[in-house]
Amino acid sequence: MKDLRLSIRNLNKSYNVPVLKNVNLSIGRGEIHAIVGENGAGKSTLINVLTGLTPRDSGSIFLDGESYEPNCAGDGFAAGVSFTSQELSIVESLTVAENIFLRQLPRRYGIVDKSALHASARALLDRVGLDYVATDSRAESLSLADRQLLEFAKAINAECRLLLLDEPTAALTQQQADRVHAVIREIATQRVSVIYISHRLDDVLDVSDTVTVLRDGAVISTTEADSSSAADLVSLMTGGGVIRPSDLAATDAASRPALVVENICTANLPNSVNLTCHESEIVGIAGLAGSGKSELLRAMFRLDGLHSGRVIRHIKSETIQIRSARHAVRNGIGFLGENRQTMGIFPGQAVLTNMMLPDILRSAACTVDATAEKTVAGQLGERLAIRCNSLQQDIRELSGGNQQKVLIARWLNAGSAVLLLDEPTRGVDVGTKQAIYELLFELRSNGNAIVIASSELDELMTVCDRILVLSNRHLVAEFNRGHWSEEQILSASFSAYTDNTTREMSQSEGVR
Amino acid sequence: MKVMNAIRRHAEENFIVLSLILLIIFFSWSSDNFFSVVTLKTILNQLPALTVVTVGMTLVLIVAGIDLSVGSVLSLSATVIGVLVVGWQIPLPLACLAGILAGLACGAANGALVAFFRLPAFIVTLGMLEMARGLAYIVNNSQTVYIGSSIQAIALPLPGVGVSLALLIAIGVVAAGHFMMTRTVFGRHLTAIGSNEQAARMSGIDARPHRLFVLALSGALAGLGGVFNAAYLGSADPNAGIGLELSAIAAAVIGGTSLMGGRGSVLGAFVGVLIISILQSGLAQIGVSEPSKRLITGAVIISAVLLDRWRQKHPQ
Repeated sequence: MKDLRLSIRNLNKSYNVPVLKNVNLSIGRGEIHAIVGENGAGKSTLINVLTGLTPRDSGSIFLDGESYEPNCAGDGFAAGVSFTSQELSIVESLTVAENIFLRQLPRRYGIVDKSALHASARALLDRVGLDYVATDSRAESLSLADRQLLEFAKAINAECRLLLLDEPTAALTQQQADRVHAVIREIATQRVSVIYISHRLDDVLDVSDTVTVLRDGAVISTTEADSSSAADLVSLMTGGGVIRPSDLAATDAASRPALVVENICTANLPNSVNLTCHESEIVGIAGLAGSGKSELLRAMFRLDGLHSGRVIRHIKSETIQIRSARHAVRNGIGFLGENRQTMGIFPGQAVLTNMMLPDILRSAACTVDATAEKTVAGQLGERLAIRCNSLQQDIRELSGGNQQKVLIARWLNAGSAVLLLDEPTRGVDVGTKQAIYELLFELRSNGNAIVIASSELDELMTVCDRILVLSNRHLVAEFNRGHWSEEQILSASFSAYTDNTTREMSQSEGVR
Repeated sequence: MKVMNAIRRHAEENFIVLSLILLIIFFSWSSDNFFSVVTLKTILNQLPALTVVTVGMTLVLIVAGIDLSVGSVLSLSATVIGVLVVGWQIPLPLACLAGILAGLACGAANGALVAFFRLPAFIVTLGMLEMARGLAYIVNNSQTVYIGSSIQAIALPLPGVGVSLALLIAIGVVAAGHFMMTRTVFGRHLTAIGSNEQAARMSGIDARPHRLFVLALSGALAGLGGVFNAAYLGSADPNAGIGLELSAIAAAVIGGTSLMGGRGSVLGAFVGVLIISILQSGLAQIGVSEPSKRLITGAVIISAVLLDRWRQKHPQ
């Protein structure tokens, strides 16, 4: 039996509704303890209470047997509790090294000691596998995946007793995630306890010693990772069986094209790409981080300038060349960006406003029909099972998964016939994922055309009729349902990189 | 529940209206003749110019912009009217239209530079603040031009109505602005752009024409303010409206508008204008000196924002 590092007794926290209910948790020294649960189950709140960002309502917390009562993030840090948040906290205009040591820049005579700074930063970057990143490069030049690893380097810098990781691998490829897991295991051998939150259940079972399942703010079970399976966890999390998305029949070969991309090139996509998405078809875009998936979707929605080529929308017998994002929306194209916070939500605005934005219901030519809006938003909220107190609630108060549902509802309201979705299930729990998949199938059978870019191969193989593979910004392969395997897709993903270009790719990822 | 939500939603307006009422009660209690005709006249005379300028400013602030040039643009409009009426013998309505168009031109120039050349609104309108003031001096040869009673009629109470044409127009502008922000699709788009421009772009909203429109409108309303200012003074003063941009920002902020964009109320801003005007006249009425007046006004602006912050954190 290991010594106890952290012990939580009868912890309660509620905002307007209870978020944590009588949570009891014990974690030993050097233990990796995973916490899983649907979005809104209370995982992030638990982390925020432990770091001191959120005050608790009642209950007690003991750290190494001593009462631990953090009131601000600084208290947690001083007590040896450090964390990485789900939303990144990187200061883009500072260098990588300065970001890592932001709390305590090494100094001599009050002046930042550059050589010490860069030497310590180098060591930490190497530890998290960012050996190809220079310590004096600006954080803004890093890709999303590298930023997550930088966040990680920042957290393990502190002399920490308890490390809290909230979705550290959500944006990472499997290779990068494996690297992070190796680092986590190494840290745990130094008797640091780790709380690990992730939606990737295989990762959770792989890396952790113990798994706790939270549902609606209450602890449902705590089990040894070795004796659990992903299926067990899912049924505990959802409180019932999971609906597996049914394999629908392959698309009608004669179906008409909805969106045709002809020879497009952009600054970030130098090699011309052709693709056609048909009505009633789900097309997947696979590829490693930095392979150009997001760039392709952005170009299709005409967010980035085209150097050459055209994007053409077919509506019945008409063909329309799409000129701008605005023109795209008007012609029934919807877009979901990869970053929910910066590309999706309107912070400070009501859920209703957020949901109704691209296609506001009009009573006259240019006035808002408030009554119809409420009705439609209510129906969409029910259809997607969006959890919120009221439609007037600030969207920032919703959990990540519920925010994502609101953003999807936005395009359902706009009646978009073509949906371009970039990582639609990133940071979303299993239940919501299933709901999104079901919705996609429903939309497909209604004749919608859907293009999904995802870093999760499982996801693409579950929902897509056809998968296109990007590698190093080249479109390298195309697979139809029934004619693919994970190995084939993966090897295609790697095909345009040779050993020489791997490093180049990692660096060019930063050029977005 | 429904009622509670409705109350909470209107708490913003209720709160500042309550402050306004408290202010009026305070001044009527501390000064015997606060409700005198003279006080009311002073307040109502100065109100229209600040009101229309503040409406423009509020819209600009909602899209996370700022317009520092309104005071100078107001004086440019006034001087254009003065020269046209006195020097060129142009009929007054046409001259007023020219003044408003001069304001519109300045605003459109601001808007084009901000929207299409991606320059920061702060810098562009700071430049326009200097340019429009310089132009006003050039137009009037640095002199105050006396226009006369024809233009003063705009600021005098209409027979049978009791309030001036200027005030009626200003209230009309407030009503139109409030309707635009609360009921129209365009207003919803402005809020979205101010709240998260990138997300707005990904919803197919092009921020550029919206920014252009809002800054051009702010210029035109400053031009209209110039008409009211000249009417109130009976003359075109190239020194008019110095520091007006700050009063307008203060009124908008007191009324619950965020300088970060995405949040604001035209109606609230109007109540902000009333609070500032009543505070000014009321303090003068009870014999507070000019320096102390400024001290108190500044403190009130900061307290208003502090209270607003506190109220947002502790709803109910």
